[in-house]
Amino acid sequence: MRSNNVLGFIFAGTLDEKIPELSASRTMASVPIGGKYRLIDFVLSNMSNSGINNVGIVAKSNFLSLMDHVGSGSAYDLSKRRSNLTILPPYGGKTFSNYVETIYNMHGYIENSREEYILISPSNVVTNFDYNSVFDFHSKNNADITLIYKHGVVPSGYDRPLTLDVDENGKVKQVFIKLETGDDKVNQFYGSVLIKKDLLMEEIRNSLSLNQLDVKRIIQKSIDKYNVYAYENTGYSAAISSINDYFEFNMDLMKKEVRDELFNPKRPIYTKVRDDAPSKYGLTSSVKNSIIAQGCVIDGEVENCVLSKGVYIGEGAKISNCIVMQDTKIGCNTNLNYVIIDKDVTIKDGRSLMGFDSYPIYIAKKSVV
Amino acid sequence: MFPKQEVVAMLLAGGQGSRLGVLTKKLAKPAVPFGGKYRIIDFPLSNCVNSGIEAVGILTQYQPLVLNEYIGNGQPWDLDGMHSGVNCLSPYQAVDGADWYSGTANAIYQNINYIDRYDPEYVVILSGDHIYKMDYNKMLEFHKEKGAACTIAVIDVPLDEASRFGILNTYEDGRIYEFDEKPEHPKSTNASMGIYIFSWKELKKYLVEDEAKGNSSHDFGKDVLPAMLDAGEKMFAYPFEGYWKDVGTIDSLWEANMDLLDPNVTLDLKDIYSRNPMMPPHYVSSDASIQNSLVADGCNVYGNLEFSILFAGVTIGKNATVNSSIIMPGAVIEEGAVVQYAIVAENTVVGKNAVVGEKPEDVTDRDNWGITVIGANTVIGENAVIKAKEMIESDTEVTANEK
Repeated sequence: MRSNNVLGFIFAGTLDEKIPELSASRTMASVPIGGKYRLIDFVLSNMSNSGINNVGIVAKSNFLSLMDHVGSGSAYDLSKRRSNLTILPPYGGKTFSNYVETIYNMHGYIENSREEYILISPSNVVTNFDYNSVFDFHSKNNADITLIYKHGVVPSGYDRPLTLDVDENGKVKQVFIKLETGDDKVNQFYGSVLIKKDLLMEEIRNSLSLNQLDVKRIIQKSIDKYNVYAYENTGYSAAISSINDYFEFNMDLMKKEVRDELFNPKRPIYTKVRDDAPSKYGLTSSVKNSIIAQGCVIDGEVENCVLSKGVYIGEGAKISNCIVMQDTKIGCNTNLNYVIIDKDVTIKDGRSLMGFDSYPIYIAKKSVV
Repeated sequence: MFPKQEVVAMLLAGGQGSRLGVLTKKLAKPAVPFGGKYRIIDFPLSNCVNSGIEAVGILTQYQPLVLNEYIGNGQPWDLDGMHSGVNCLSPYQAVDGADWYSGTANAIYQNINYIDRYDPEYVVILSGDHIYKMDYNKMLEFHKEKGAACTIAVIDVPLDEASRFGILNTYEDGRIYEFDEKPEHPKSTNASMGIYIFSWKELKKYLVEDEAKGNSSHDFGKDVLPAMLDAGEKMFAYPFEGYWKDVGTIDSLWEANMDLLDPNVTLDLKDIYSRNPMMPPHYVSSDASIQNSLVADGCNVYGNLEFSILFAGVTIGKNATVNSSIIMPGAVIEEGAVVQYAIVAENTVVGKNAVVGEKPEDVTDRDNWGITVIGANTVIGENAVIKAKEMIESDTEVTANEK
């Protein structure tokens, strides 16, 4: 199977409800992350770098920021004569809370595309992954369906996630629903599936005709009927399912091995570009263990922070363990610890805000403190 | 058929820029990196776009590969219109022969067809080696108001520096009566900025006439402008206020970069567009210390940085010190190395504990002090010492023993 025979299909609203603060004005896919990115940049770049030419993004609600961010798809090299990025807003004005009806609702787009296969993906996973390995694996095993999974502890935001029992050849023996989350390591399936389009639509139609809308059940039952295989993503991957996951991932970027893997120059992560100047450090600045995007002006002290584009840190400010989103202004002599500060916020001179490791405070977009 | 454009800009980018030495060994001067993420040409190009000029021809000749690649389809500058935009114009072969661009005026002469396609009223001639922000519209308004055939932008320079520039002597209303190229005893302080607006009809006439002259060097400053003045054309000097710097020499290139760190300098980088490398935000480690510097995406800073400019993807190792220097994309300064008053070009590696450049106060004979320059893709070996004012070739390796 060649990658240009695979249609990319991304759900923009994966677990929106689990990060109500960040998704108040946006969908999961467009949550700002890692200083200059939005969550969807990772899966889109992975698809583009793997040679997928056409990608559809199912948008359910609050997708203005998503449309603004991905635009025509040119930043991901997905806006050419034979490659396209398409945002799929609710068709016929209908939105559905289950995947079966959502996919059926988009059957026109899926069936009209020229690709034979479809790669379905959530938008909340941060990883740098080459899908070609999955395509090869799928062909080699004559699989009907390949599920992509990660071995590890299930992030706390997932309710009853699917886990896979996989044999040594990668064949799925059983699919379980995990009832309680804990510290045990399992093969968690996040929702990335490779399947022939015809087969997918046939299953979706059958399920609808039987009023079977529970996608977990459908996947469980599919192993009786089909050759279902599973492919492990053994690299770094972080699924964002809560504000704590979000905080932890941003802090993970301070680790060199994580940065080296995620930002592999051979498979760059693309994003919408803004013409910011390089960041300017003043005479009174002191920055330690931090990730800084361009366009920042830093005159204060910053430690263990992720600063997005165009952030201003005033003189005498002490900012630690914070995630600061774009164009936020933090005044002089402020003191902030464990705070997640959304876009365009103004923190006035002299203010203090203290969260805690396990409970970072969140300051909403455009607030003035 | 091309829709008419009132103004077409022609950017002279063909010169070698030999005074920049190893920095222009493999690329044209306008493509030299500047200010942490830009190339020099971003300034005139962005000025064009911000002045509403939609048709820009870039005249290339010397080492055009990097420049052509960088300009590409012009999209970063919004110059990728359907019927206008940016074009790189290199010398070409025609039925009646082929010729290199023999001078600035000849370069425009050879592209009369390109300009005529747009049927413009005015042509702006720009050079690719100046750092400044300017609204060409204001200058064009002045040009129209005066009913000029040619308007030349001038900047007020200190009297003691005036003899380094081309000085324009004018009447009170700004009309030029004399050109004074690098005068020993300047009569005024109006230095030409190398920015000309011509009414196209007039310019075309003089270009054709100049081309026919056997003894002409086909240069705007030496031939075309004096010819126009002699013929009694209305030529005006347009006074510009703001930051402007010719970055044609190592010293001036270094100074212009350092000016970006000076709060008293008025140049800001807002609305200057460039091609952006796809790199993650930069990382500053717990051991690092950064003061008064510019740092671009993709850098990893583990050492000490003062009064310096880091381009995209630069690594500064632990306990390394970089002071008053410009480090171009992808360069690596390894652990314990010292780089001071230097320009380190792209992808060069300065090995562990090597010392590049010297502080002016540490050099006894001030005449021997200067900015140290290391060419691109060079390896400076461990413990090697490179003195002030030295220039190391690109694509070479220097070991401590050789020094």
